[in-house]
Amino acid sequence: MKSPKILVLRAAGTNCELETANAFAAVGGKPELVHISEIKAGKKRLMDYGVLVIPGGFSYGDDVGAGRVLANQVRHTLTDLRQFVRLGRPVLGICNGFQVLVKAGILPHSNNFDQTASFTVNDSGRFEARWVHLRLNTQSSCLFFAGLPEMVELPVAHAEGKLVVKSPRHLEELKKNKSIALQYVTEDGKLMGYPHNPNGSIFNIAGLTNPEGNVLGLMPHPERFIEIHQHPNWTRQTYRKQAVGLEIFKNAVSHAR
Amino acid sequence: MSPAAAKETARPAVPAPAAAPELGVLTRSVRELRALGDERHLSLSEAEWAAVQARFKTLKREPTLAEIETIAQTWSEHCKHKTFTSPIRLSEGRRTRTIKNLFQETIAAATAAAKKPWCLSVFEDNAGVVAFGRKWALAFKAETHNHPSALEPYGGAETGVGGVIRDVLGCGLGAKPVLNTDVFCFARPDYRGPLPEGALHPSRTMRGVVAGVRDYGNRMGIPTAGGGIWFDDDYRLNPLVFCGTVGLLPAKAVKKEVKPGDLIVVAGGRTGRDGLHGATFSSAVLGDDAPGSAVQIGHAIAEKRVLDALLRARDRSLYRSVTDCGAGGLSSAVGELGADCGARVRLEDVPLKAADLESWEIWLSESQERMVLAVPPKDLKALQAVFAAEGCETAAIGEFTRDGRLRVVHHDEGVVDLDMKFLHKGLPREVRRAEWTPPPPQKASGGAAKRLGEILREAIADANVCSREWVIRQYDHEVQAGTVIKPLQGVRHDGPGDACVIWPHAATGDLEDRAGFSVAHGLNPEYGRLDPYWMAMACVDEALRNLTCVGADPSRAALLDNFCWPSPDDPKQLGALVRAAEGCRDAAKGFRAPFISGKDSLYNESKDEKGRPLPIPGTLLISALAPVPDVRRAVTMDFKGPGNALYLLGRTNDELGGSLCHRLLGRTGGEVPKASPAVTLEGLRSLHAAITKSLVLSAHDLSEGGLAVAAAEMGFSGEFGAVIDLDEIPRDPRIYSNETLLFSESAGRILVEVAPENESAFLRHFGKGAKAAPVRRVGQTTANPILKIVGLDGSTVMEEPLRELKEAWQRTLPAMLA
Amino acid sequence: MSAVRVQPVSTHLIEIRLRPEFADAEGAEALARLRAEGLSALKDVRVSRLYEIKGAITATQVQQAARELLCDAVTQESRVVNPGTPPLNGMNFWRVEVWPKPTVADPPGETVRDAIAEMGLPRPDSVRCALVYRLLGRSSRAVIEKAVEKALANPLIHRFVVSEAHP
Repeated sequence: MKSPKILVLRAAGTNCELETANAFAAVGGKPELVHISEIKAGKKRLMDYGVLVIPGGFSYGDDVGAGRVLANQVRHTLTDLRQFVRLGRPVLGICNGFQVLVKAGILPHSNNFDQTASFTVNDSGRFEARWVHLRLNTQSSCLFFAGLPEMVELPVAHAEGKLVVKSPRHLEELKKNKSIALQYVTEDGKLMGYPHNPNGSIFNIAGLTNPEGNVLGLMPHPERFIEIHQHPNWTRQTYRKQAVGLEIFKNAVSHAR
Repeated sequence: MSPAAAKETARPAVPAPAAAPELGVLTRSVRELRALGDERHLSLSEAEWAAVQARFKTLKREPTLAEIETIAQTWSEHCKHKTFTSPIRLSEGRRTRTIKNLFQETIAAATAAAKKPWCLSVFEDNAGVVAFGRKWALAFKAETHNHPSALEPYGGAETGVGGVIRDVLGCGLGAKPVLNTDVFCFARPDYRGPLPEGALHPSRTMRGVVAGVRDYGNRMGIPTAGGGIWFDDDYRLNPLVFCGTVGLLPAKAVKKEVKPGDLIVVAGGRTGRDGLHGATFSSAVLGDDAPGSAVQIGHAIAEKRVLDALLRARDRSLYRSVTDCGAGGLSSAVGELGADCGARVRLEDVPLKAADLESWEIWLSESQERMVLAVPPKDLKALQAVFAAEGCETAAIGEFTRDGRLRVVHHDEGVVDLDMKFLHKGLPREVRRAEWTPPPPQKASGGAAKRLGEILREAIADANVCSREWVIRQYDHEVQAGTVIKPLQGVRHDGPGDACVIWPHAATGDLEDRAGFSVAHGLNPEYGRLDPYWMAMACVDEALRNLTCVGADPSRAALLDNFCWPSPDDPKQLGALVRAAEGCRDAAKGFRAPFISGKDSLYNESKDEKGRPLPIPGTLLISALAPVPDVRRAVTMDFKGPGNALYLLGRTNDELGGSLCHRLLGRTGGEVPKASPAVTLEGLRSLHAAITKSLVLSAHDLSEGGLAVAAAEMGFSGEFGAVIDLDEIPRDPRIYSNETLLFSESAGRILVEVAPENESAFLRHFGKGAKAAPVRRVGQTTANPILKIVGLDGSTVMEEPLRELKEAWQRTLPAMLA
Repeated sequence: MSAVRVQPVSTHLIEIRLRPEFADAEGAEALARLRAEGLSALKDVRVSRLYEIKGAITATQVQQAARELLCDAVTQESRVVNPGTPPLNGMNFWRVEVWPKPTVADPPGETVRDAIAEMGLPRPDSVRCALVYRLLGRSSRAVIEKAVEKALANPLIHRFVVSEAHP
């Protein structure tokens, strides 16, 4: 079977690109690290790839706001991104990459590049790294979640992860369009506040997908759970679950095949 | 012919440096020079001034400002470690002996004695390097950034982290940072005593330092997964900030060389007036902003660009050598790289932040995020293209020569012309005086007795034991996706791990390779107050036990020493320092663990609010690095289930001197813990063998608070209880006190949980006989989350609910910061 | 190239604020720190960013940069700040600007400078970024200055200005 080419987008301050590439390679993808300057210079073309991933990090230091500068570059440089999305090719934004997709107007829907959601500083006022329980929206058409259980665990690590929407109307739209891909929950699946919801996101939203389901942005890091030994409790005899992060990459690759 | 070479031949001969006659180095007395220099924060002694004077008398000219600055910088304590390398006359009671070179006779001697073939580079490069499998090597370095962090905690900590990362980037041909580990010594953040005018409150220092380490490490994408904090109010004016980094590099990239004709290329940030030392002649000229220029804010993304570009250039072999631009700026970096051949620099080619910088300012500036490379002329273009693609500036600023001279010009004006030999070997060595009075044996005294349960409750909530979760959660400890054993462990991911285990697949690109490594620390200035020798021993002992507990191989441990001491001009302090260094030597020899790098920060004392000197307690941080052969065999410290056997490894002695228990009870004196390296090492090797066979469910070292604290931590992290019978403890038979058995801090001990079906297999790994490390079953885990202790007379002497202990343990730090 | 008009060098101040309907976690943290330093009458703190943009760039261009780069379309609003005395308001509202000193590096300023150039706008000669704390609560300048020095600014690397201000 052919291995789809994965564009792992880099910019100054991207820092999760290697483990993200490893995750794609582990499921049969052919990841390639591409700096946005190479696309700008015309040396690489987005349309030559089957999957686009924008990994985590602090692009440009998140200095003007998380992901803001890279989002502007994506708007101006990745001009064929909307076509890429329309063709149904998978686009994944992790953590900083999610922030970029939202601020570039690709999520929750990429009809006109309008930004309708954003992120503010975590309610705790601090960067926080912790594992969280998540509930996947089984009704969404998100291609990345095929075959996954409803309840999963992944780590988050961010300072500006509180998702906010422009107005209450926009939240209703997210619900209606089944754009809410995953939510922070308690171990038994309830919506609760801090620390279960680590940042104070509205309606506990941890990730968004577009109505077509081929774009996924999420604050948690699936590339940090592609192996059972990355889970904090793997040394406990009671722990016997699958590494759900790997499945997300697997789904992207098999869709691109 | 390359463009750069053409430029060189077109140039006239290097002009003679313009003198700085106002210094009058040739005409003044050395005493006058010293006074003049001190006024301008040039820390040269009279003997050093005499050597400088003699040198320039033979040259028949006055030195330039830049030359004096270069010499002062190169000969500084920071760069040359004068105290550690000068002869010392040590008086010990009636005996006096001479140490020719403390570093060579202690730290280096131990490494030489260990003869480890896996030590690939020790003490030479910017970091120590050990082999990691056949294809890879690990570079490890820890440094302090104490003074800048006292003045500006956030920026001081940031630039401390940035600096040690550059050490690792500039080690060999460049290593990829894969772990940050940071240790702090602060006064308690709820300190309410007086402070001198202008001193920052300890709580602000702590918040700022943690935020600086967080923001720099997180932005660089390096997991900060190790470290520790020690609280003692004597650090209130001199906080200690130890920044450590581990880097991974290909084994074939360990060696570097500079060839005459190679271009000197500076890469990264621009050079500015920022980072100009307070220790410079013209500090008066800088006026208001002078102190600010000595303290910097880091620019992590600028350094990330350098990292990304440098490693890409390394993998394409586009340069022959590299080093970081740290203290002394270009003067140190170029001076070091060209030490064996010579170098010529054109300052007008250095990219600047502001056009009006003076020659010496460009040469000495300590602007952050810069590296210096030796690049063959044919590779310059390709190298510059790699850096440009990452948005990172480079400039060729000169070339390495074969004339053994360091020559610097600025727009055809001579700035520096010194011979490398004088610069690097011309430092006169002065004999220093040291004194050490062995402490008389002191019986423990004072304080009132307390209920054992009450002592445990206080111990578990003590500032030096309590949960560090508030700090750890702010660090991205899982970036690079290889933190297989995390700093916080247990059912609810909040128990105190002994060490992290890193599986560096993001750096190796190989998910099949299951090798990992671990880093741990030992630090306890409280023992040093009684005897620095045994403090050093205990620090090595603790670091190695921490490593072994998570599954690292104690026979492959490499050590770093970081001394933070008050003024060595005080013979008593220097005596204590010698004593600590000798403890390091004997520990390294006993544990057969070589030192591979180290650093010292001296003169850590300030005037308190009444003008009295407030020295820090002499502090030694030992950091240890060891491979974990297969990360899938690693172990955490939380109890895994009920009904498992608990084994105690190591012997318990009546060693409560300097212990937490004594502090809590207000007692003084007593025996400080005395490690026995040979016996402990054997026990650690046995334990490691058992861990690699998956015979160990959990393991945790006994440190502050002894057995009671360790058992409580394992229990509340795993949410199981334990019953421990004190009469089963391997011990000095003269101990009749339950309190001593529970709270003694004897070295070499680990509490281990073993499944009943594995007990006999586990025990087979341990030796027998008088010289073997004792290991004995002391109890078992229980379903009920209560820590129950059976005393020497068979009665229950303690029964403490673990949930309450955990709450107390978690409350302290947030409360101190509120 | 056709006629190039030389744009004179000017200085612009642009403030970016979180819209009032969004909770300000940074402000809450600053409030806690200032209260701990004795400003117990303080009721609220909001944090915003102030960019000083110098160079051959017009006010219109700076406003374009504010709209497309500096200001988040959902959460923030921008306004041009005119240097000069702000109107007084019964000592109930205060404004604290914390600037990095000229010799201290300013990474956000550098990022913004590069990003403005990348938008196709003239590259500013310099961009400096300050944090602005907008304080609600009765106090006096001297008391606030003391608390700011203890909690929010370090005179070694920062220069700060406390002024009475309109909300």
